[in-house]
Amino acid sequence: MSEPPVMTSMPPMPPMPVPEPVSPARQAWRMFRRNGAAMIGLALLLLVLAEAALGPALYSVSPDDMVWMPLTPPGASEYWLGTDYVGRDLLAGLIHGGRVTLIVGGSAAALTVAIGVLVGAFAGYYGGRIDNALMRVTEFFQVLPNLLLAMVVVMLFGASLVNIAIAIGAVSWTSTARLTRVEFMRLREMDYVRAERSIGASDARLIWAVILPNAAPPLIVSAALSAGTAILFEAGLAFLGLGDPNAMSWGRIIGDNRPYVLDAWWAVTFPGLAIFLAVLAISLVGDGLNDALNPRLRER
Amino acid sequence: MSMTPTPPLLSVRDLTVAFRVRGEDAPVVRDLSFDLHEGETLGIVGESGCGKSMTALALMGLVPNPPGRIASGSIRLGDEELVAAAEARLRRVRGARISMVFQEPMTSLNPVFTVGEQIAETARAHLGLSAREARDRAVEMLRLVGIPAPERRVGDYPHQLSGGMRQRVMIAIALVCEPQVLIADEPTTALDVTVQAQIFDLFRELQDRMNTAVILITHDIGVVAEMTDRVMVMYAGRKVEEGPAADFVAAPRHPYARGLVNCVPRLVADPPDVPEPLFEIPGLVPGAEALARPGCAFAPRCPRAMPVCGREFPPVTASPGGRSVACWLDAEGAR
Amino acid sequence: MIRTLSRRLLNAAGLLLAVLVFNFALIHMAPGDPVEVLAGEMGGATPELLAEIRAGYGLDRPFHVQLLTYLGRVAQGDLGHSFYYDQPVTGLILDRIGATLLLVCAALTLALLLGCFLGVVSAQNRNGWLSHLVTLLSLAGFSAPVFWVGILLILTFSVALPVLPISGMSSVDAGRMGPWGRAADVAAHMVLPVLTLASIYLAFYSRLARASMLDVLGSDYVRTARAKGLSRFLVVYKHALRNALLPVVTFAGLQFAQVVSGAVLVETVFAWPGLGTLAYESLLRRDSPTLLGILFFSALMVVAVNIAVDLLYRLIDPRIGAR
Repeated sequence: MSEPPVMTSMPPMPPMPVPEPVSPARQAWRMFRRNGAAMIGLALLLLVLAEAALGPALYSVSPDDMVWMPLTPPGASEYWLGTDYVGRDLLAGLIHGGRVTLIVGGSAAALTVAIGVLVGAFAGYYGGRIDNALMRVTEFFQVLPNLLLAMVVVMLFGASLVNIAIAIGAVSWTSTARLTRVEFMRLREMDYVRAERSIGASDARLIWAVILPNAAPPLIVSAALSAGTAILFEAGLAFLGLGDPNAMSWGRIIGDNRPYVLDAWWAVTFPGLAIFLAVLAISLVGDGLNDALNPRLRER
Repeated sequence: MSMTPTPPLLSVRDLTVAFRVRGEDAPVVRDLSFDLHEGETLGIVGESGCGKSMTALALMGLVPNPPGRIASGSIRLGDEELVAAAEARLRRVRGARISMVFQEPMTSLNPVFTVGEQIAETARAHLGLSAREARDRAVEMLRLVGIPAPERRVGDYPHQLSGGMRQRVMIAIALVCEPQVLIADEPTTALDVTVQAQIFDLFRELQDRMNTAVILITHDIGVVAEMTDRVMVMYAGRKVEEGPAADFVAAPRHPYARGLVNCVPRLVADPPDVPEPLFEIPGLVPGAEALARPGCAFAPRCPRAMPVCGREFPPVTASPGGRSVACWLDAEGAR
Repeated sequence: MIRTLSRRLLNAAGLLLAVLVFNFALIHMAPGDPVEVLAGEMGGATPELLAEIRAGYGLDRPFHVQLLTYLGRVAQGDLGHSFYYDQPVTGLILDRIGATLLLVCAALTLALLLGCFLGVVSAQNRNGWLSHLVTLLSLAGFSAPVFWVGILLILTFSVALPVLPISGMSSVDAGRMGPWGRAADVAAHMVLPVLTLASIYLAFYSRLARASMLDVLGSDYVRTARAKGLSRFLVVYKHALRNALLPVVTFAGLQFAQVVSGAVLVETVFAWPGLGTLAYESLLRRDSPTLLGILFFSALMVVAVNIAVDLLYRLIDPRIGAR
């Protein structure tokens, strides 16, 4: 080495241009906005929600009254979408049923996420015996076909909206629990969690205030998917005749009219289409969230 | 070495590899030219992201596409042009005439096949060996790379071997067809220091035996000094200095190369009372936008930068002894 | 291997026992009295008749005695007596299980093969039209209510274009056909239910296979395989596919219970004479022994499938056996 190190005393570097800080939520929204399919899904979802919120007030025909000849095809009367097998207005059923379907689906999904996160968080955070015991419970619910289980529960306890939502939530939480558990097991070993622990943070604080917010992105996506699944689930139960007899829902319209499907394709096709579009909207949004919240997967 | 009259084994001219980012081509390797002769070991040195691994993948015809591609230039192996060659022809070159050992032995072997199968399939693909012969060849290769009890190990799965053993298997795969060129991309970075030394010993021994030319990609100046004949320094996708390894390590010319060499703490027989401060290169490793900028990409970090450095990339100044450097300091001096 | 297998079997037995206890507790927790329903069906619920029925089914004894009796019976293969069909539940289930297995196996095979194929092909060209189509179809498949898909298929292929039978598993005149004719008859009846059930899982599997294949195609060992100069076919179908199958197999095992759930809906739509239709019928009649028997039997199937998947996984991935 002929020269001494030349650069030890140097003029300070010009500051590197630092991009202005962007909050993760805003960054995710930027990603999301660029995703055409997800934006279509979001628009569709807002439309469905607006329909459920405002539709019944704007369209005053009751979904439960006989208004015209049974099994009138669409366009043959003032009731655009025709009537069902007892002469109820199908459009009114769709409009009022949307609210019930979304409320049941939404609350069932909330319950699914709540149970799943609770079980998964405790299992993943504490590990050991608690994990073992909770995973056994999870396994138990995983070997029972959830529709059959929900059928049994609703049959035995009655088909009220509350029971239906509880039954769906109680049988659907296992995958959320597994996902939460894995995230918690990963995150609890992170340096910032250890740092919090070393300054004496309580378990409750570590679980809910430190780890959970960091585990949120995949859980948000999974919650979106749960909402879709719950709506399909409610429809399935209603189709099997386990809908609340006092509340019109999309699934119930299909279930009620199934015996007449060969004569009245519309009475089954339209409510099914409504369910399909609502769930598709949620799936598209969930998919977009997944891409937006997982920058690692962006290039896919 | 560069004085030898024989034509080079591998000759790279004006190679540019570009990645398409948001609709625009961003070069990650730019106008790169170098030669490799039979039996020679060439070191490529630089920080991560300087394009050295992408150069290796370009030689293999494995630039990930999309988003990457070889935008221009030529790579000649013997008489054969590899840039824009048909995939089928490249396939006959890969693994047979040029082969590569990767950085990560833990993930570079397929977990669901035995190591024997992973060696043997290469032999079957290129040498036309029968299953039986290929298996025998695999055992022979395992023995050659110094794996004990190769007859037994041939049936092992990768997870049953240590990192060093796996890297030996990777070397066996790379050498099973006795290639003319072996590219080793930081082959020991992921390994323990003692294992590193063993792997390098193995490289030297096998190179002597097979007369394979080696391109050794590293960021470790110590490895360069010990293992290579000639060295090439890359910064932000360009070659900034080249020369015989011994001369280079003794007196690097480019300010970046000096920084690299000076980063290595030296063992001195008679240490001074006040140790020399350990050197560091200021600033950050340049991102993609630095590569697209005109002028010398190192200028923002260079303590001796001049106005011209930010405007124009310096010409390559060759000097006796096979050395060359791309820096305005030398270009000015030459004038 | 044998030790893991026996551990799995023990675990499975524990799970099944838990299902039985749970089943039993459910009936006792439920409000309402199946006996009254039954008596109502017999036409008139006099207190004497109710008591007689209770004693007949042992419903008048204390809870734990009933539970132990129940468990003991199940151990002998007796899942109870159907109120509605007036038959042993086990017999009812065994009569129907074949049809369900036929449906589920055919649908799963179709979904897995086609799903993996679509996933692999679309992963290889991840921004091509096929890739987008697979993503779109899998979203649509996930979002469509399965019974609605079934009804639409019936309306299309049995009503508008009457090429396939509407429902059931065989034609009325199947008795007069030869063995091949009968097989062809069943096959024709199978087409729509199998397609319907497969459609949901096709969506899941193709999406999962695509994601997992993309992951694997970017892995270091696939790069190694390419660096060896192997053909594209060998790289994709030998080196990548086997690794990419692992998550699909895991998922298929985990989701098997949901496949049974899907089968209930599909069977109901197509009046396919399997366990699902039986579950639906016993639901309508509030025949809880039959429904609970089906629930238990389904759990048994799921547990068996999970063990099989576990063994299959060990065949595919040598790392598991070592752990």
